[in-house]
Amino acid sequence: MRVQLIMADKDLKIGAALTAATCSLLGIAAPTTAFAADPDAKWDVDSALLYYGESDSRVKDLSLGTHATRDFGDERKLGLDLTVDSLTGASPNGAAASGGAQTFTSPSGRDVYSTPAGKVPLDDTFHDTRVALNAGWSQPFARLYTVSAGLGFSNEYDYQHLGANVGLTRDFNERNTTLSTALAYGQDTVKPVGGIRTPFSLMGDVTGDGDDGGGSVHKNVLDALLGITQVLGRHSVLRLNYSYSDSSGYLTDPYKLLSVVDPVTGELVARTPGGAPGATGLYRYENRPDSRRKQAVYAELRQDFSGKVLQIGYRYSTDDWEVDSHTLESRLRWPLGETSYLEPHVRYYTQTAASFYRYSLASGEPLPEFASADARLADLDAYTLGIKFGHVAPSGNEWSARLEFYQQKSKPPAETLIGTQIGHAQMPDFNAVILQFGYRFKL
Amino acid sequence: MRRTCLALLAASLLAGCANVGVKPWERDVLARDDMQLDSNALDAAIDDHIYFSKEGTSGGRGFGGGGCGCN
Amino acid sequence: MVRVDDLWIASFRAMGGPCEVLVEVDRESKAQSLAARAAECAWRIEEKFSRYRSDNVVARINAANGAAIEVDDETANLLDFAATLHRLSGGAFDITSGVLRRAWTFDGGARVPTAGEIDRLLPLVGWDKVSWQRPVLTLLPGMQIDFGGIGKEYAVDQAVQVLSRISDAPALVNFGGDLAATRPRSDGRAWRVGIEDVTRADSGARSANRLIELQAGALATSGDTHRFVTASGERLPHILDPRNGFPVRGAPRSVTVAAPTCTNAGMLTTLAMLRGFGAEHFLETESVRHWIQR
Repeated sequence: MRVQLIMADKDLKIGAALTAATCSLLGIAAPTTAFAADPDAKWDVDSALLYYGESDSRVKDLSLGTHATRDFGDERKLGLDLTVDSLTGASPNGAAASGGAQTFTSPSGRDVYSTPAGKVPLDDTFHDTRVALNAGWSQPFARLYTVSAGLGFSNEYDYQHLGANVGLTRDFNERNTTLSTALAYGQDTVKPVGGIRTPFSLMGDVTGDGDDGGGSVHKNVLDALLGITQVLGRHSVLRLNYSYSDSSGYLTDPYKLLSVVDPVTGELVARTPGGAPGATGLYRYENRPDSRRKQAVYAELRQDFSGKVLQIGYRYSTDDWEVDSHTLESRLRWPLGETSYLEPHVRYYTQTAASFYRYSLASGEPLPEFASADARLADLDAYTLGIKFGHVAPSGNEWSARLEFYQQKSKPPAETLIGTQIGHAQMPDFNAVILQFGYRFKL
Repeated sequence: MRRTCLALLAASLLAGCANVGVKPWERDVLARDDMQLDSNALDAAIDDHIYFSKEGTSGGRGFGGGGCGCN
Repeated sequence: MVRVDDLWIASFRAMGGPCEVLVEVDRESKAQSLAARAAECAWRIEEKFSRYRSDNVVARINAANGAAIEVDDETANLLDFAATLHRLSGGAFDITSGVLRRAWTFDGGARVPTAGEIDRLLPLVGWDKVSWQRPVLTLLPGMQIDFGGIGKEYAVDQAVQVLSRISDAPALVNFGGDLAATRPRSDGRAWRVGIEDVTRADSGARSANRLIELQAGALATSGDTHRFVTASGERLPHILDPRNGFPVRGAPRSVTVAAPTCTNAGMLTTLAMLRGFGAEHFLETESVRHWIQR
């Protein structure tokens, strides 16, 4: 859903008033419609090839995305998005680093993978390709109202998403103020490789058949958004959003574990595999609540300084998992001559840990109701620094290149650390490079 | 308490908006592509997807975009 | 006359530029009589409304020095039209803005007037200072009106009306880039017209950038091809904002619009130019076929 800054009433009336004035000037009744066919049609396509690569042998992603819009006149617009991305590389499985080497059973249950001593365990058995499709339509509804609707679909090996959204905007104050509301509903289906794990069950040995077990679970998300776009002056515009999100269903990550450690020393409790190869430590599959309610406020200001545009955005989010976050982001579009521009970008993100985040579980103690060692739910800080360069060709087509550096550092809340972990907890911090080439053209 | 504050802020902003703005013929700068709030829709969608899969919070800016199995 | 394909083409000069009439008819004599009628339209309107003449209604109005002038129906229609445009454009379109030309000389030079020079002229600019009670027009002493922004397109539409009345032959009237067709060509083919490429016009070469296929209706173009002032390297088109006396900033170098009548198209190009950076958005909101060069 996009909210357009729509021009004043007067503009929409000019066409009719002008035609009427011309008719009375020329003394003619009804004009014949002009019909100028032109080879250039009306699709505006923005495409991007993206490479995302994390440090070490972690996640690498290559994706191709296109976003196409078509104007049908009278403010009726169609938007289509298609993205294909291919993910490889290792990601943390939630287990903690240990003094000794560790072996884990892979999600399919057919194989094992290992982590050397002292390293944060990473699962590198994943290669996945994802396809996502989105379509949206918006059009004027009555004078000053615009209505929009959209559908979304995405598919990957173990995950499918289906969603729909509707929106309504209304203009006030000679279209200086626009109020927008939107609602979105999504239904996701997860079919984890290796089947659905019982919460907190122990990771076992390799099994012969190793396949799904066929289990699938669902997750529903309801999102509501209330926004105001306000023109502050000739050179600036402000956007304020309030959003509410309610997720329910299977919200657990089916592949993530927690290490079970000795309650005094904090060392991993060893496990001896049975006849087949398997996990060499006690690991339990994580369990998250089956509902999550989130609220966020977002503000964005765009300010023009004689052709240079500064964009500043701030978002505060809070939810009932106790993950609270602040995001501060800024971009500066700096024109170079008439056809090129440079756009530096900075972003700072910080969040507090979920109430059920644990670095590990203590052996012998009663299991908590919910627990996850996913670093993405810990105390976390992230920084992005990037720059984009773009150039518009005489044909009007634009190509661009973007390079960004992302750094993420997470910290376990002190109270979740046990024994020797204190002062020696290792989090799967990483750096990533984002390289993107874009091309924007008309079809 | 926080929720009430946010609601009051939103309401007072809307009420105070009646006199802020520009005349129709003063929209030259605002009409430029780089002043549109959705000017970088594709970049924003890409970024949102990356941060959705690497951080604990997502969204806030708008909709469009699906879920994925990465969080 | 020249014969190209199955069209007769007549060329002549009017309104300060080259004009053409294209007629699809077999006999040359028929084409000649139609072209002659179209040319007569152009010359009649030029004589009546040109600001360069000293013997027409515009000259009488501009020499009135505060006196009330009674005008004929056709002039009154144009004044009503100008008043409507002034209102629809929020004051940006104003036929009394001509005096500002004294401060700005648009001939490729680098001279930019001072704020003082503009301030001295601003009291003489503004349709709101004019008393227009049809059929009587009263300007303040020193004010001038100029139909230059409306005249050529009006002439094209008049010529098309005349030709449509006297003949069924498809014809295209083109007065210096503002053009309209009486009807589509007989075999369904479109009239092919080109929009001048403004960047190539700088170097003296004249070649069409974009070919437009017009079935019916009109096309008008506004642009800075031949007249500009370079102030610190910036190209300023000759469209001045009468509210402050300065050229509109960020105006495209060329705007072309397709509309049912040439007057309609011409006014949309003018209003778009007056929007400066907002030209594209304005024309998209108006949902007309348009081509903009920057």
